[in-house]
Amino acid sequence: MDDLQREPGPLEDLEDDNDSSDNDSSKSKKSNLPVVYPMCAETPRETGFHRSTRACLEMIKEALLHHRWQEAAEYMACYPQLLEDPTNGKCQQYKELIWRFSAEILHHHPKSRMEDYNNIYERMKHSGVKHFLMISLEHCFHLLHHGHIEDAKHQLSVAESWRYGKESAAQYQKTKLIHAYRSLLDYLIWCDKKYTYSNKTGKMLEFYDNHEEALKVLTDYANDEGFPPNPNAQVYLYQYLKRRSASGRNLKKVLKNLHSIVPSHELMPEYSTMLLQSEKNTNIQKALGVVLDLLDFACWRSNLDVEDWRDRVAEKMAARKDWWPALHFTRFHASKDSEENPELMGVKAPLTKVLCPDLTLKYTAWPVTSAEGR
Amino acid sequence: MSQRQICPSWQPVMMVLKSSITSRLLMQWTDPMDYQFPQQLFPSFYNGGPPDFVLKHCAGNWGCYDRVIPQNFFLDQCMDAYGCMAEILGEPFEQAQMEKVGRNVLLSDVVPVVPVELLGSLLHEELTEQRDRSLFSEGATGGALAFIPFPRGGGDPQRGCLLYPGNQGLDCLNFQRVEMQHHRGSSSFVDAGSIDPLRFQLKGPIRQISCASLFDDCCVAVRSDRLCGVWRVGERNAPRLLQVIDTREVATCISASPHVLGEVLVATERGAANLWSVGRGMQKVREEDVNLYFNAKSSWRWCEFSAHPRVVTYADRTGVELTDVRESPVLSHTLFHIGNTSECRSGERLILSRYLGDIHPFQHLITTQYSAYIMDERFPCLPMLKWDHMMRSPPMFCHAVCGSTSTGSAVGGARTTKVLLGSQNSQEITLLQYSGGRAEASSSRGPLQALLRPRDSLKHLPVQIPHRLDLSTSRLSSPAAGLTCIQKKGIREADGEECICILQLTEAGDIFYQTLEPEQQDASKSPAAEDEPALKEATTSVRETARRLRLPQSQPVSSDASSDEDVIGPTQDKAVPVFVTETPEREQQALDTHSDSSPEGPEPQGKSCFRKQYGLQVVVNEEPDQVSGSNTEGLKDGEGVGEQPVPVKLSVGALTTWKRWLQKSRGKTPRPRWPQHFQVKTADLLLSENEASDPTEEERVQCLRRDLRACMSKRSLLVHGSVSASLQAPGAVAVPDTVDTEAWRDEVSHRLTLAWQGEGAWRAWWEERLGLNREEKVKALRRKRKREKEAKRAGGRRLELSGSFTSSVSYQSQLSDFSDSTGWSSTVDRGASSDTDGNQSQPEGFWENRKPRAMTPPPPSVSHTCTPVATSTGAELERGNQQTPSSVLDLSETPNHESAPANLKTPKHPEEDKLTALFAPQDEPSQPNSYFLEESTSHHPALHPPVALSSFQRSLRLDPSQNTSLRSCLSQSSQSRQVSQLKKKKSRMGF
Repeated sequence: MDDLQREPGPLEDLEDDNDSSDNDSSKSKKSNLPVVYPMCAETPRETGFHRSTRACLEMIKEALLHHRWQEAAEYMACYPQLLEDPTNGKCQQYKELIWRFSAEILHHHPKSRMEDYNNIYERMKHSGVKHFLMISLEHCFHLLHHGHIEDAKHQLSVAESWRYGKESAAQYQKTKLIHAYRSLLDYLIWCDKKYTYSNKTGKMLEFYDNHEEALKVLTDYANDEGFPPNPNAQVYLYQYLKRRSASGRNLKKVLKNLHSIVPSHELMPEYSTMLLQSEKNTNIQKALGVVLDLLDFACWRSNLDVEDWRDRVAEKMAARKDWWPALHFTRFHASKDSEENPELMGVKAPLTKVLCPDLTLKYTAWPVTSAEGR
Repeated sequence: MSQRQICPSWQPVMMVLKSSITSRLLMQWTDPMDYQFPQQLFPSFYNGGPPDFVLKHCAGNWGCYDRVIPQNFFLDQCMDAYGCMAEILGEPFEQAQMEKVGRNVLLSDVVPVVPVELLGSLLHEELTEQRDRSLFSEGATGGALAFIPFPRGGGDPQRGCLLYPGNQGLDCLNFQRVEMQHHRGSSSFVDAGSIDPLRFQLKGPIRQISCASLFDDCCVAVRSDRLCGVWRVGERNAPRLLQVIDTREVATCISASPHVLGEVLVATERGAANLWSVGRGMQKVREEDVNLYFNAKSSWRWCEFSAHPRVVTYADRTGVELTDVRESPVLSHTLFHIGNTSECRSGERLILSRYLGDIHPFQHLITTQYSAYIMDERFPCLPMLKWDHMMRSPPMFCHAVCGSTSTGSAVGGARTTKVLLGSQNSQEITLLQYSGGRAEASSSRGPLQALLRPRDSLKHLPVQIPHRLDLSTSRLSSPAAGLTCIQKKGIREADGEECICILQLTEAGDIFYQTLEPEQQDASKSPAAEDEPALKEATTSVRETARRLRLPQSQPVSSDASSDEDVIGPTQDKAVPVFVTETPEREQQALDTHSDSSPEGPEPQGKSCFRKQYGLQVVVNEEPDQVSGSNTEGLKDGEGVGEQPVPVKLSVGALTTWKRWLQKSRGKTPRPRWPQHFQVKTADLLLSENEASDPTEEERVQCLRRDLRACMSKRSLLVHGSVSASLQAPGAVAVPDTVDTEAWRDEVSHRLTLAWQGEGAWRAWWEERLGLNREEKVKALRRKRKREKEAKRAGGRRLELSGSFTSSVSYQSQLSDFSDSTGWSSTVDRGASSDTDGNQSQPEGFWENRKPRAMTPPPPSVSHTCTPVATSTGAELERGNQQTPSSVLDLSETPNHESAPANLKTPKHPEEDKLTALFAPQDEPSQPNSYFLEESTSHHPALHPPVALSSFQRSLRLDPSQNTSLRSCLSQSSQSRQVSQLKKKKSRMGF
């Protein structure tokens, strides 16, 4: 849907240029309250034109927020006059506003056509050169959304070869992004398969039988300290290894990493099974730990596979004794389980005695009788 | 006055001297009584106002000295009380004060008792704080409104318990069972039933209500500033207070655990986060003295639970950390860092962090003043979604509603989560929708949408008179204080029969609600099978918005709502079926036995009485609003986009609610806290029919009736005269004696006396007093003299030359008496121009010096008539030497200037010549000769001398050199002078 194009905010890093001047001054007197500074604040040198454009902006905003697209479009038709104002210092900011507002209106206006989009995008691209890359990207998304893959790729190619002034850090990143998307499109055109950037690389390499390199890429991706911890990288690696039928030890290592990051991951039961298969006592302990960790999370509470544990729990339970009963074994859980999942109930009810032998729990309260009868 | 203006710097010195003298005197006086100690150890002005203090206005304040004996501080220690005031006033005020204590009544408003500097700094501090609070009061974060759905009720209608603060101070926790009734196509409303809410009086305003329910039981955690309490409530059991703790520092957050009932997280301003297991005590989870990532100078802390029951989020304005409680020292890693998110704006701060456990076990919502983020705690630091919420003030309240898994056939049962963000000051509510987060990536659905605000509704309501409009405007636009949502799922989910009802609490204690339901049209449209759910949810819009009003409970309702229907004109409609569910009169609820604190609390007695009498506690009614409704219409039929939004007609129910709300809120207006009026029941005072047994009285009444009837038959008025005979009171008050004006001879009395005679007399007095009527007097004088002369002439027939000449000269001198100042000025000027080089630059100075004299005329003396020549001053004489004779000659020519020289030199008719010489200077047609009478009318000559002088002055002011030339002109021959005189006359005429 349109959400592909939903971009975060109308004002971004470009605003930083003037931000330092006016925001600092206002901050010094405005203490440090996290209040919202208006999008277009009143400036000391104001003409009636400024006031009316600001009012117009407010009207557009109101109309947008209340989904009155037609009204917003009518206001929007007048607003770009602002760009012709020679005294306007913050032109870039307004250009971005115009770009985003008009794109938003076009997305929702029932009578918008593809030509309107192209028109707006082209004009805005060449009006606010600073936003060229982002507008190109958005344009490309829009084309993609409507299935014009070739056109989209063309847009990206144009953007890729575009140069303007000195390349800033942000611009560099955006160029990278465009590169990435362009290659993604290449890839999409190359094959209509699933896409994820890293995974794709791996697959491409895999396709060309370059397994060593694929492994290296995936391992780097998974273990790179520079990125925030990304469980999916581990998952990709695991899947790759599994596909290559790697050794159990390697698999376990990956899963151990994954467990440390996301103990509630859906691969955890697999991990515990794997641990159990190894028959070593320490591994069994670990497996229990993994399962109990899983049970800590609400989403695993009604999973039958996980509850199938009766032994070697006492030591693990010690730490949880004070809150687990309330988490799993209250009367309400009992009544709910008995209604919805009698089988789980059958597993859980004896568990109460195993897990917490010294506590009297209400899990076997009144509604249970019927369930146990089965 | 003028003296004080000239040397103001002397006054303080005088003051100091005086005060030192007084104090010395006091010392001497107190010396012999050393052994005494004061009977009152503290100055009495702390509890007593000025003794004769009478408040002249009703603005309240420092006149409210109830039950305090008035002290004499203001009389006894006047220097202390009025020292600074006296300095301000710049005159020995204490003296006057001792004499006229009454003056302090006049000055009590403007003369400070607290030193001005201290007051100023305190005031500044207070105003700063108030301003900050009005911009952003972080204490309200989280919101004090909650709804607990009862699962068993399910379906239609959705039942639940609404928790909200009551009372004017929002310090009363209410548990109200409500049910939401919704019928597609028709109106939906929240029904509070006929059950009174259960009320718990707290000791402070309720800031936040957090509740978590597990199956049938619910744990409600309530935060006020320093006290936190936990209640337990369920569908079958009444609310029960479990425990209350005192946090010592200001608590900034409370959060009930969704995993384990009875576990509550409490964060305080010191930076501590405590895990409070109700009944088992507190465990400190984490404590930070400083902000997490950078110094944001904020002591606000927030904590929430997360997917793991022993991992909590710990947030401040700079970011959020996930803290594992099990370890010690606690293990933390960053979930959200304000600077690290992309496109973070400078000054951006975290406002709220909320665990969306009901929606997705790993998702958190984080808002800043510009954006809203969905974070997955498995992917820290990486927002799953980011919106720019475009709100005008930071979103402090939020509620997330899980969309139903409707249309299970569609893509993986993607359901749309609706996130409602509410801001405080601007009352905005913004609806964000997104889906995903499980198998597929999160993505937002549709554009964000602003919902209706209470303050917007006013313009759709009937017009009110201004003061009522002001009142309701301010009430409707009071900042929001909470937000919650009632979600109703359809019985058959495939229908998508669901709606959400958004409730918003304002700081005034009102609750407004609006209902949102998905557009019907989409279901039937169903463009493509896989697109359907997304489309459907994306276009969820306010199809119909209902808004209801709820009033806080114990406000005193001043009048029965039904009885003053006529008060509010435009909204009234007697034929309205009362939509309002209204609690009948009832006594104190028996259910209140559960409350641990007195439900009435510190309320004054009168209130509870009111409350009992008018038990109208919940007004629930409907007030549909315009905008979205009409807009959706437009969207629905596709091509209707261009059509103008149709003004929505308010439903009858809405009007009824509005009226009722208005009446209640009017009843709530704060009244000046004045002692109640002494009320006398007049029923006993009025004699009833049979008690009026006095025969004379009876007779009089009969008589009066007769008169009245007679008047009516005659169609005449029943005037007092015809009635007075019968109605005359026996003991009429004697008319006071007439005031003997002669006895009051002072000026003011005289003026007052004159004032009684009418404005004319009064004005005349003032004119006389200010000398404004000088010219009239001159005229009168002349007329009088003329009459005298005529009388003389009539007697003597022939006028002697010498006598008349004398009189004319004397008259001339009188005139120059009048223009005495001018005489001076001209002489001075002459002197000035005589030494030309030195004084050329000074005419302005002279002019100014002269001016006051010119402005203050000599007292209009009665002795004009007989002023002899000898009385003229030296200057006058001097002028007379040089000027007067010639000017006499000159002026004599003016009436008949064509033949003047000839007349002068060859007198053909001696009499006439004499007379001409006589009267021409004055232009006084005192001759019986008609020629003169016609030539110059009587008003003309009166103007002559002053005007001529004024023209002189003007020329002086304009240019000194010109003046000299003018003067030289004067000393020239008569011919040239004549010309100049002519010129002058012309200008005079123009003047």
